[in-house]
Amino acid sequence: MTVVIGFEGSANKIGVGIIRDGEVLSNPRRTYITPPGQGFLPSDTARHHRGVILTVLKEALEEAGIKPDDIDCVAYTKGPGMGAPLVTVALVARTVAQLWAKPLLGVNHCIGHIEMGRLITQANNPTVLYVSGGNTQISNDPSPGYNIEQMAKRGKQYVELPYTVKGMDVSFSGILSYIEEAASKMLTSDQCTAEDLCFSLQETLFSMLVEITERAMAHCGSQEVLIVGGVGCNIRLQEMMGVMCKERGAKLFATDERFCIDNGAMIAQAGWEMFRSGQVTELSDSWITQRYRTDEVEVTWRD
Amino acid sequence: MAVPGEENNHKQGKLEFALDVPFPSTREASIAFKSLIPDREPRKGGISKEITVSDSTLSVRWRADETRILRVSVGSFMDHLTLVMETMEAFGPPVPV
Repeated sequence: MTVVIGFEGSANKIGVGIIRDGEVLSNPRRTYITPPGQGFLPSDTARHHRGVILTVLKEALEEAGIKPDDIDCVAYTKGPGMGAPLVTVALVARTVAQLWAKPLLGVNHCIGHIEMGRLITQANNPTVLYVSGGNTQISNDPSPGYNIEQMAKRGKQYVELPYTVKGMDVSFSGILSYIEEAASKMLTSDQCTAEDLCFSLQETLFSMLVEITERAMAHCGSQEVLIVGGVGCNIRLQEMMGVMCKERGAKLFATDERFCIDNGAMIAQAGWEMFRSGQVTELSDSWITQRYRTDEVEVTWRD
Repeated sequence: MAVPGEENNHKQGKLEFALDVPFPSTREASIAFKSLIPDREPRKGGISKEITVSDSTLSVRWRADETRILRVSVGSFMDHLTLVMETMEAFGPPVPV
């Protein structure tokens, strides 16, 4: 029996989760919400996390009915993400690991999403699309957002927008520049509504994601797709991916918002896999890093 | 060569700040030390910070070129130190090893 506690706080969610052999014992979380129209900044986010993390940790232990002594390993997000929030969480993880004399494990946030997706959906060997507002791995270009999703639901008219896919790469900068320039003209001349633009943005961008996913599946001979990351909660994306999968006779897996959105249990799950395959992070190596590619991680727990 | 707990990003800091923090035990001071040293200072230049531990006292020495840079670094460290101490308060004392 292996019990792992996982700490996540790389963006505006702070979560602590406890997993015992594939069972989620607890997964409390808090979200730092900024006023509408404002993004979240590192130092404010870190301050928010500092204010609640110990409370969330206590909740996690109480809900799980677990004592520190029952824990086998303390996992935390090493990266990628925002610097100040990452440090906040790492400090607590390092401290409790030492107080409780338990080994520490630095986890890649994206691997956390993937391993949780695999656990929840039981997908065997899927092509994974990891699509997140904060952590889009394909490039550093801007990514679709929650507000757009809500407005898109009310859109009716499709407006043609730049579509950029080159092989396995997508680019969002062209569509962003186009929208920035054309949107105000289109809206003031009543060609379409803001909702129509949001709808069209989603249709275009999600089509790009579906195309590269399909290409990856074709290259790898894969019959399973797993969508992870916060944007994976988007119903329209899941719908569109579902249509492509059906056409190929493939299966689509997606998780609900408990696990799509950043949470502590996903870090615990990845930590569980890594720990059982013999990995451990020395305190001196436990520094956080804002940039941490998924393919930098040595996967010792799967073939 | 870099020594754990030491960062030197400047030529000759005009300003200095010294902090000594007592802990209830050597073990607890050591725990705090090991939690606080792994991360790199975000700012590249104009500041150096050295963290050391001796018995039950954690010591930090800063040298900086400008007050603003010094203030940010010290303020940030105090936030981190406070969090570590609150964690130790809430989840300590350390288990016997």
